[in-house]
Amino acid sequence: MDIDLLFKIAAIGILVAVLNQVLLRAGRDDQAMMTTLAGVVIVLSLVISEISELFTSVRTMFNL
Amino acid sequence: MDIFKIIGVGFIGLIISVILKEYRREYVIYISIIAGAIIIFMCFDELNNIINLLTNLADKSGSNSYFILLLLKITGIAILTEYAINICKDAGENAIASKIDLGGKVLIISISVPIISKLLETITKIM
Repeated sequence: MDIDLLFKIAAIGILVAVLNQVLLRAGRDDQAMMTTLAGVVIVLSLVISEISELFTSVRTMFNL
Repeated sequence: MDIFKIIGVGFIGLIISVILKEYRREYVIYISIIAGAIIIFMCFDELNNIINLLTNLADKSGSNSYFILLLLKITGIAILTEYAINICKDAGENAIASKIDLGGKVLIISISVPIISKLLETITKIM
C-alpha cells in the first residue's frame, strides 16, 4: 500500500497508449483493441485488490 | 503519518493524472482511486489511536458506551461515502455520486435510530 502502485498504473497506462499508437500505425486495429483491454484488465485487478484491502481495514477498524 | 507525505502523494497523483489525461482518459479515475486509498491508509494508524481513546472513554463512562460504537460506525460510513462521492464527481458522474450519497444518508439514519429513540425517552422522562 505505497506509492509505487501509482507509478505502476501510470507505466501501464503509458505503455498501453504507446502500444496502441504503434499497432494503429501498423494497421492492426484489432490487436490495438486487445492491448487496451489487457491494460484495463490488469489495472482493474490492481485497483480492486487495493479497494478490497481498504474496505476490509475500514470495516475492522470501525466494526461496520 | 506526516502532512508532507500526504501532500506529496497527492501531488504525485495529480501530476500522473494530468500526464495520463491526454493519452488514456480512463486511467485518471484509477489514479484518483489509488491515490485516495493510499492517503486514507496513511491516516489509519492515527485514526486507530483516536478510536482507542474514544472506546476507553466510553468504557469508563459505562452507561452510553453503546452510542460511541454507533458514532464510530457512522464516521466510518461517512468517510467511505465521501471518498466514493468525490471520485464519482471527479469522473463527471454526478448522478452516481448523488445515489451513493443517498445510500450513505439512509444507512446513517437507520443506524442512529436507537440514539434518537433513547434521546426522546430521556426528554419525556425529564418533562
